[in-house]
Amino acid sequence: MRVLIIEDEPRLAGNIARSLRESAGYAVDVAHDGQDGLFMAESNEYDVVLLDLMLPHMDGMQLLSRIRKAGQHTPVLVVTARDDKESVVELLNAGADDYLTKPFDLGELLARTKALIRRGKGQPSPVLSIGDLQLNTVNRNVQRAGRVITLTAMEYRVLEYLAHRPRAVVSKTELLEHLYDYNWEKFSNVVEVYISGLRRKLDAGSAKPLIHTLRGQGYILQD
Amino acid sequence: MKSHSIKTRLIATVVLSQALLVAGLLSTGLFYAHRRLLSTLDDGMQARAMNLVALVRYTEDAHEQLYFDQALVPSPLDRAHPDLFAVWAEKSGLLAHSANWPAGLEISPSGPSHWDFAQAQVPYRGLRIFKVPVLDREADVTSAPETLTIVYAAPMIRLQKQVWDAGVFIVLSSLLLLGATVVLTLWGIGRELLPLQQLAAQAALISSRNWELHPPEKAEQIAELRPLTESMTTMLARLERSFLQQRQFIGNAAHELKTPVAVLKSTLQSSLQRPRDSEEYRAGLEHALEDLDRLEQLLQWMLRLARAEQWAHGALRRDLPVVDITATCEEAVERIRHLGETHNTTIRLAKDGAIPFRADPEDLQLVWTNLLENAVRYSPRGGSVEFTVARGDDGSAQITVEDHGPGIPAADLPRIFERFYRGDPSRTRATGGFGLGLAIAKALVEAYGGTISVESAPAKGTRMTVGFPSQFS
Repeated sequence: MRVLIIEDEPRLAGNIARSLRESAGYAVDVAHDGQDGLFMAESNEYDVVLLDLMLPHMDGMQLLSRIRKAGQHTPVLVVTARDDKESVVELLNAGADDYLTKPFDLGELLARTKALIRRGKGQPSPVLSIGDLQLNTVNRNVQRAGRVITLTAMEYRVLEYLAHRPRAVVSKTELLEHLYDYNWEKFSNVVEVYISGLRRKLDAGSAKPLIHTLRGQGYILQD
Repeated sequence: MKSHSIKTRLIATVVLSQALLVAGLLSTGLFYAHRRLLSTLDDGMQARAMNLVALVRYTEDAHEQLYFDQALVPSPLDRAHPDLFAVWAEKSGLLAHSANWPAGLEISPSGPSHWDFAQAQVPYRGLRIFKVPVLDREADVTSAPETLTIVYAAPMIRLQKQVWDAGVFIVLSSLLLLGATVVLTLWGIGRELLPLQQLAAQAALISSRNWELHPPEKAEQIAELRPLTESMTTMLARLERSFLQQRQFIGNAAHELKTPVAVLKSTLQSSLQRPRDSEEYRAGLEHALEDLDRLEQLLQWMLRLARAEQWAHGALRRDLPVVDITATCEEAVERIRHLGETHNTTIRLAKDGAIPFRADPEDLQLVWTNLLENAVRYSPRGGSVEFTVARGDDGSAQITVEDHGPGIPAADLPRIFERFYRGDPSRTRATGGFGLGLAIAKALVEAYGGTISVESAPAKGTRMTVGFPSQFS
């Protein structure tokens, strides 16, 4: 999963980014002003955007209506110091999916972010099931037929993304987009390495493979 | 303090003054009635006594004896207490007396002409008339005419009763009038005090939500109440202004505190999110400390502003030394020098000799450093800031701080002295400001009776002007 944080307070942005990377294993990009934020939101595919309202160059509300006008469905979680009813209503009407007032709890921010990602991909439950595979997005626990599977951080990220979009074809480019943040060089053969590692661990002891390759198109997670 | 009612006091005053009036009226009335009645009685007695004299005649015989025609004595007015009389002739002695003349009554024919006495427990007033010549009808009066002494006494019962009646009449009518006055006064006071009660009821409706005083129309028409309603209205306006200001300040402050608190909280929470080695914890704690420093700085600025504004409203008065404005400017330049160097900006101070001013030098330096800091931060690198101190002929001072930065958009100009106002958040955030420096400068300048103004041209720069009036003219 890839998250964009648009927040002008560098320390706050850094702390949220660290938290999302460490506890959820997400790829995180940070923009420190509205213009950068808009550019990044338009040029990359994010699974959720965390948006501060008081921003230099372009305020959060403007940015929100710009990306909604452009037809982007990316869930937006607004982080604001204002907590009066009117501004909350205004926010939600402008296209925000959820909001959190400062000072907030990082745990709550994390939970709301995860929930927004799930909803954005049509998954109501935090525990994703594909056949006999179960993936718990809260504690990042993966089981197949009751057997606990230990994955590396990157393997989990790949599996989590695929599990959020079961039975859909996910291209290598899409995977790369959602696995790495802005600062990484993207090499598509890295994806193949993770997929083969995942297959090995998931299919051990099972007759049915879960990850299927469609040559030239991408991968499908289904039983 | 014992409370009392205006109504009761006014009524008491009215009753007391009326009572005094009644007492005065009663005593003069009774005195006058008594005098009048007495003189009437005296006149009556005189007339009757003279009537008696007319009844004394000479006999027809040669001896010229005197005789008194008892049959012609007029009947008494008061049958219960008939008048008393006695007539003496100078030569012949007691000539006649009334039938009821008491046997033992000894009345000297000599003495004062009027006197009071009691006979059989009836008060009488007596009249003595001396040397009344006996009238001779034939007019052939002998050489030595006889003279008479008459004592006539009338009962005083009627007179006393009349005086009493007059007294009762005066007292009763006064009481009636007094009652009417009290009722009228009560009604009048109630009517006049009604607007005051309405005003009090209106004043009771004032709260932190409702500052509008609606004085009853009557209260504004009453001359004595008008100053009260007027001062109440202006007082409320002042209170409301400072209340709103305080509330706005608290609201702003709470809002401004949220971000640094959010930063600190997120720093601590992200450090605690999972087990870390001591190096990482150390870094986390150091970050938290930095966040806390910033929070503390913000608090200090807020307190400084609160203090300056409190003082500007006249809440603080201090014994101030006379300082030299120019010297405080030089000191401020010293303080800001380091920032200027790191920013590669020169501060050029143009001065005009000493300008004495009664002030706390720290306050003035704070104003200058705030203005200079802003100017330096917005100056292009390698640029300069013009700092000019000019002395007016009358001893006033004008200080300008001019930068050659990007200028302030016209839309932001009227608001730059507002608390927490940041024209462009990116600039101030990047320059480490809280949006309080100019608000503090303004509050301090105004506390010393000065003015502060700003002019700005886009892409040319900004000029801040502070003017202080002369304190020694």
